[in-house]
Amino acid sequence: MVQFFRETHIDFMQKRKYAILASAILILIGIASLIIKGGPKYSIDFLGGTEIHVQFQQPQDPGAVREALAALGYGDAEIKQFGGREDFLIRVQQQEIGTQISDNILAALQKAFPSDPGEMRSVESVGPKIGRELRSASVWATLISLFLILIYVSFRFEFIFAVGAVVALFHDVMVTLGIFSLLNLEVNLAVVAAFLTLVGYSLNDTIVIFDRIRENLKLRRRDNLQIAEIINLSINQTLSRTILTSLTVFFVVVVLFLFGGQVIHNFSFCMLIGVIAGSYSTIFIAATLVVEWYKKHHLAKIKQRSAVAVR
Amino acid sequence: MRRNNTFRVVLITLALVWSGYQLYPTFMTTRFKDQADGHLNKISQTSGLSIDDLNNALRQGRLEQQLKAALANRSEALPVALEEAQKLITLDDKIAKHEPRAIKRGLDLQGGSYLVFEVDLAKMVRDLAKNKDAKFEEVLRAVEAKAKAPNVDFFDVLVQEIASAQVRLSRYWGNRSQEDGQIVEDLKKNATDSVDRNLEILRNRIDQFGVSEPSITRQGDRRIVVELAGITDVGRAKNIIGKTAQLKFSLVREPEITNDVIVKINAAMKRARAGSRNDSAQAAEAAPVDTTQEAKVRNDEEVSVSELFPGSTSADSGEPASDSTVLVDRELLEENPFSALIGALGPDIGVPEKNVRAVERVLHSPEVRNVVPADAEFLWSNKAEQLADTKYYRLYLVKREAELTGTNLTDARANIGSGGRVSRQGEWEVSMEMNSEGAKTFSVVTGANVNKRLAILLDDKIVTAPNINERIPNGRAVIHGAMDAEEAGDLAIVLRAGALQAPMQIIEERTVGPSLGRDSIEKGQNSAIIGFVIVVAFMLFYYRLSGLIANLALLLNVIIVFAALAQFKATLTLPGIAGIILTFGMAVDANVLIFERIREELRGGKTVKAAIDAGYDRAFWTIFDANLTNALTAMVLLQFGTGPVKGFAITLLFGIAVSMFTAIVFTRVIYDWMTSRRVMTSLSI
Repeated sequence: MVQFFRETHIDFMQKRKYAILASAILILIGIASLIIKGGPKYSIDFLGGTEIHVQFQQPQDPGAVREALAALGYGDAEIKQFGGREDFLIRVQQQEIGTQISDNILAALQKAFPSDPGEMRSVESVGPKIGRELRSASVWATLISLFLILIYVSFRFEFIFAVGAVVALFHDVMVTLGIFSLLNLEVNLAVVAAFLTLVGYSLNDTIVIFDRIRENLKLRRRDNLQIAEIINLSINQTLSRTILTSLTVFFVVVVLFLFGGQVIHNFSFCMLIGVIAGSYSTIFIAATLVVEWYKKHHLAKIKQRSAVAVR
Repeated sequence: MRRNNTFRVVLITLALVWSGYQLYPTFMTTRFKDQADGHLNKISQTSGLSIDDLNNALRQGRLEQQLKAALANRSEALPVALEEAQKLITLDDKIAKHEPRAIKRGLDLQGGSYLVFEVDLAKMVRDLAKNKDAKFEEVLRAVEAKAKAPNVDFFDVLVQEIASAQVRLSRYWGNRSQEDGQIVEDLKKNATDSVDRNLEILRNRIDQFGVSEPSITRQGDRRIVVELAGITDVGRAKNIIGKTAQLKFSLVREPEITNDVIVKINAAMKRARAGSRNDSAQAAEAAPVDTTQEAKVRNDEEVSVSELFPGSTSADSGEPASDSTVLVDRELLEENPFSALIGALGPDIGVPEKNVRAVERVLHSPEVRNVVPADAEFLWSNKAEQLADTKYYRLYLVKREAELTGTNLTDARANIGSGGRVSRQGEWEVSMEMNSEGAKTFSVVTGANVNKRLAILLDDKIVTAPNINERIPNGRAVIHGAMDAEEAGDLAIVLRAGALQAPMQIIEERTVGPSLGRDSIEKGQNSAIIGFVIVVAFMLFYYRLSGLIANLALLLNVIIVFAALAQFKATLTLPGIAGIILTFGMAVDANVLIFERIREELRGGKTVKAAIDAGYDRAFWTIFDANLTNALTAMVLLQFGTGPVKGFAITLLFGIAVSMFTAIVFTRVIYDWMTSRRVMTSLSI
């Protein structure tokens, strides 16, 4: 039998102070970066604008591309070269003329590079109003899913468990957002989708451990174990499952990141961070919060509560 | 005690049969399409026709005629091409049979365009207004600015602004006896009705344009979503679909009047420039511009916009930095600043492309608006003309009131000009026919204005402005304006389908080129295979025989998810494939949970059978809770997402739901079967 972890007895709860400190520092750095850069780096999905991906046959000089655009009045366009230097991402924030921009730019490139006019790979054009709508829709979607989770978890477990779960999810989103800001990565619609997915995934993890805690609370009542000990035990018992599932998910996300291509690059990177943050936060944030809360209340009360813990 | 598994086995068998039934069309379609692509390429090579053209011909059932025409003088190639075409047509029939039940690929995988149109309410209410005074323009501009904010209703803003301007709505819309509330309701109804009507017109235009299975749907009250799969020339499609195609015939003002207005504009601009420089010098009488001369050599030089409009910074104009210079004739700048910006192009005013914005700005400034006669307006030509190394737009002063509109058209055809002026022979033009009412009006208008010019306007841009040589009694009119075959054909399409009821603008576009679509499919496939192999190998390595069982469950999961996609007519997108790949990782979680539990129980000293029972029992609720919360977020995603993201949410949701069945029910049956055959003393887990 292959086994990575035989019965472990790691005292996670004793290390929680360091973990919280580490998380706090990471999040604070992320927030600092967000503040300095004036919020997340939104893509045109949220800002409005036009983005064109053009692929030439031969590597081209970005200066020449810029020149071709400047002649059209798009001198302030953002030009990014990637891939094997044949691929260009051209972004124009200017919005009034709407979707004419992409046609104009493609025509201009055709004129400037007659022998290798560049193939249109994709065009995305979002009006400013739609951008703002998508932004508010994204925020709402995130808030609604957190709210639904809060309700479901407090219905199935105890309210404090739900709070722990939601705080852990919030932690994951903040960490990922912070890292995105630090690395200057763009937040687009797909990334928001990734946020929601990793919220679901991270929660999956949290629920498994909570389930074990609930089970152990019932079993160990008579043993008079401290809540911290129960949680430690539960985490240790589920540790090998946590690692195994994290590994399989991590594998497929790495595959997506490496082989999925440019289109879903930011999405898979977001998932990559999220998977790591998710496993970590379950143990150190969600469980920790539950321990802290219990410690602040009377022991007698705990015992009563745990005795009637749902189901 | 033996569990009775008959029901479960039946269920699994049913699931497999159903999956096969659902996936068969997808399998066949993919196979036939690959074959069809081969034939298409061959035909394209022998005939020299593009794949797009061939596809179009195939769809319209005239592939063979097309080939015969194209290969008329290459008789040796024709039989080969025709034979291939015959095979292609047979395949196409087979594809048509299976495709409706095959899994649909999203636009991001097959290439295509997703366009969101919104009724341009500001333009609509302006078109509907019966009286457009200065106050009206002021109010409407304020409304436009405020309505840009999200979650703001255009009509609420309109009512507010009208109220703060202290006028009644009935001054511009409806009639005097109507209450404001009633007028707003009517305007709203007009907008909603227009969307319905536009939807029909769009469908009509797209059908004529020749796109296979376009999807045209309404979104909310004011929007129309158009999805065009597999088109390559998006610019042209947008042009046909989105054009309002409001056709108007308006009289061009006589050259004397136009000259007079230009003189007045010069004076007004000069006063404004002088005033803003705090210069008290009086504006001198400006010399008229002789617009009849041929395009003269201009002493052009680049001058910054701020020099032209002293006293205003470019920051408040919101124009891009690159537009900050214009071409002006230095000699004229001081005395006749407006003439310095424009030139003569034949009998018309020609404006260098670079100056268009500056001229617009002059024309919209309040001082200048006062000197343009109320019954006339300046309008641009629809196309720039190349002259030496500069592009010019023509500028016309036309009567505001249209003599005739496109509502009276009965037909429009593109053809090559034959009669009329010799210089137009052999050029593409669009000839139109009018109904009797239109013909009568047209006859009266042309009769009364012989030797004047009649401008033909499309969406307030002048396509052509020919001279009226004589009365035209039969209601036939011809548009010519340096068009190529494609442009003429497209113009005929939009004129035939009719003008949109209300103007629309594209507020969102997402287009994926065919090559990126192909790449995405390939990348998605590769990632899926690699991801699957890694997960399967890992499970096999860690859990051995039990890993194999979990892997079979995973395979079953993927098959059922695809079958569900086909059954529910869901669209497979690239993020959707990512969702499936992600479920590889997540679906085995249920088995990991069960297996870890079984191992624990085995360590606790239970027998194999008891450990399996306990493992499944204990893990069930954990799996249920974990998957349900996962499904909750996927459902939120489904509500919130557009297109590709929705595809992701769907596959994720299916994957989670199906994994409950495959990871729990299916694997359990196999374990039961194993333990029922003999008493197991050890378990490969």
